[in-house]
Amino acid sequence: MIPDTVYGAILLSIIDFFLSFVVIAGIGVILALFPYLNRLGEIDEKKLREGGH
Amino acid sequence: MFDQVLFFFHALLQQTGAANFTWGNLVMIAIGGTMIYLAIAKHYEPLLLIGIGFSCIVANVPGPPDVPGGPPVSALLYVVKEGGLFHYAYEGVAKLIIPPLIFLGVGAMTDFGPMIANPKLVILGAGAHLGIFVALILAKLCGFTINEAGAIGIIGGADGPMAIFVTVKLAPHLLGPISVAAYSYMALMPMIQPPVMRLLTNSRERKIEMAQLRKVTKLEKIAFPAVIAIIVNLFFPPVAPLITMLMLGNLLKEVGVTERLAKTAGGALMNVIIIILTVAIGSTMAADKFLTWDTILIVGLGLLAFLFGTASGVITAKIMNLFMKTKINPLIGSAGIASVPIAARVSHIVANQENPHNHLIFHAMGPNLAGVFGTAISGGIMLALLGVQ
Repeated sequence: MIPDTVYGAILLSIIDFFLSFVVIAGIGVILALFPYLNRLGEIDEKKLREGGH
Repeated sequence: MFDQVLFFFHALLQQTGAANFTWGNLVMIAIGGTMIYLAIAKHYEPLLLIGIGFSCIVANVPGPPDVPGGPPVSALLYVVKEGGLFHYAYEGVAKLIIPPLIFLGVGAMTDFGPMIANPKLVILGAGAHLGIFVALILAKLCGFTINEAGAIGIIGGADGPMAIFVTVKLAPHLLGPISVAAYSYMALMPMIQPPVMRLLTNSRERKIEMAQLRKVTKLEKIAFPAVIAIIVNLFFPPVAPLITMLMLGNLLKEVGVTERLAKTAGGALMNVIIIILTVAIGSTMAADKFLTWDTILIVGLGLLAFLFGTASGVITAKIMNLFMKTKINPLIGSAGIASVPIAARVSHIVANQENPHNHLIFHAMGPNLAGVFGTAISGGIMLALLGVQ
């Protein structure tokens, strides 16, 4: 897909660096929504530990 | 009689490695000794450097030739040969069994709370990876193939298991030098990063104190591994084995009902894996294989990758500060280079030296953990673009 040349290396780097930013930003957006999960309820950590094995 | 004694001693000498000792062995023994010194005297990642340093030393103590007239074989390499214990240790690395198990252990030991608590900072996990691409382009300019250059570049991700994973997929013949460079530089980050961090920041910036992070609930921490595992498996199948195991380990830790498994994954199993991994890596450092032009180039490019990654992380944090009302300490940018928790610890130490009341470790852990995903994403995209499954 990417030519085995210096041009290919530069192309690969630019695409990869740009896409990494986009994907990481996407993960950031999803994490920003995490506090809304707490509207579903609360987990009792003490009970969780009691049920441990 | 005298001739017979001489002949006897000569034959005896040939059965030892002394006759085959080279200056290269001496250089590598000095390197191994330096690693052990740094681990003991400076406390630079002793869990990694002791094993790598020791096996580097032993791998460079030549033994007698394997076959009459053949090249000398070190004592350790006898153990590494097929049938030897550490042959299977190395196979565990080369066949990609060990890297996912390391990620399982890392996940079981890691609290992703700081990353969930401040999602803005995850961008630093991508920003600190410029080093990967600088090294990639330079490696190509030095004459490596694009697959080899990609594997060399990933050293800049500062994530040992990911470097091994991508190298085995792209250029398995470079596994030895790349894993040595990746793990050695990870351990030496307390030496490599601070000068770059200080060069790119002023005293006022280094003194910035950050507000306390919000409390992340148990529900969020349990949802996190499942959500990330789905995203990575959906969009980045080439690196899914590693991140999936990382998330499994983290789920074992967070659910609270599998404490035994989490303790084993992050404790005993992790310790066994570290011993196997460090010896497997150190055993590849025999002078005849390590002191080659290509290896020296790879080690040099790896260092550049770390330097540029550190710099780009700090610069990304400074750029973010231009748009943020509440300023962040730019020193946490360099933690985006992955290598959990070494890079976060370095950010904390440098900030703490400037302002003893500044405890940056939890803030730096966010970008640091994001850096693990940043490296995985970069590696996954690279494998996909190069057409490697």
